[in-house]
Amino acid sequence: MKWVTWKNIGVDRMACAWLIRRWIDPKAEFFFIALGEKPLPEDGKPFDIPGARYSHHGGHCTFYTLLKERKINDPILTRIAQMVDEADEIQEVTVEPAALGLDLICRGLRQISQDDYEAMERGGLIYDALYAQLKSESAK
Amino acid sequence: MTTWLLLHYKLPNKPSALRVYVWRKLKRLGTILLHDAVWVLPDQPRTAEQLQWLVAEIQEMGGEAYSWRASTILDQDDESITQQFNEQVDAVYSDLLKRLEKPKADLQEISRGYQQAASQDFFHSKLGTLVREKLTSKRGERS
Repeated sequence: MKWVTWKNIGVDRMACAWLIRRWIDPKAEFFFIALGEKPLPEDGKPFDIPGARYSHHGGHCTFYTLLKERKINDPILTRIAQMVDEADEIQEVTVEPAALGLDLICRGLRQISQDDYEAMERGGLIYDALYAQLKSESAK
Repeated sequence: MTTWLLLHYKLPNKPSALRVYVWRKLKRLGTILLHDAVWVLPDQPRTAEQLQWLVAEIQEMGGEAYSWRASTILDQDDESITQQFNEQVDAVYSDLLKRLEKPKADLQEISRGYQQAASQDFFHSKLGTLVREKLTSKRGERS
């Protein structure tokens, strides 16, 4: 399936692309279009674009929306969703201090990557690592 | 010259909780309300993104919102708006400094306050650097 989002990905969209490839659609193909570009390609699923089904809703990030819409129940992913929420949305309550660091790293990752494809690949590694570490902590 | 983000929005009259919700989010982001008319933020990658999502959320609530990138015509207006942003964080920083001078200052509480203020310190206030230095030098101090 084709998945479409705006260029210049950051903490939320790196997490979404990783989630889509690992949990939703292993054969996913990604397309990065210019900010605000219209019309959206008809054969692609838009994500993290305002107004789309898979986007921010009710003060939650797109990663959170994807988990909810796809009914993915995994406590580690739920924790990652909380982190992405705190990094990417205005939150009054914060319980994940790692969120701000995650946001900074993802921004920097985009800066040192040639394009969004490279940033997405590298971002995948960050989330693999985060998932593995959180899982090993929760097992104890 | 500074580029600013402006926001103007309208929400349905009811439920009134929505107004409070949006207002608190704007405050949390460090937005300034100029003359009870327009909300202003400096144009930075993070503020631009947060504002974009807030606009989408207001529309989702059935409200209307417009956001602009704007620059002032006169440089002195930039200075005056920048000063308002600095005054906003400096008020918090001054309070933190006062609390730091007290014996048995709660360093954990103060550093939390510092982090929150720093997230709204768009123009790198000198007072912020001072709070940070005092906090880090107090760390490890034995009373």
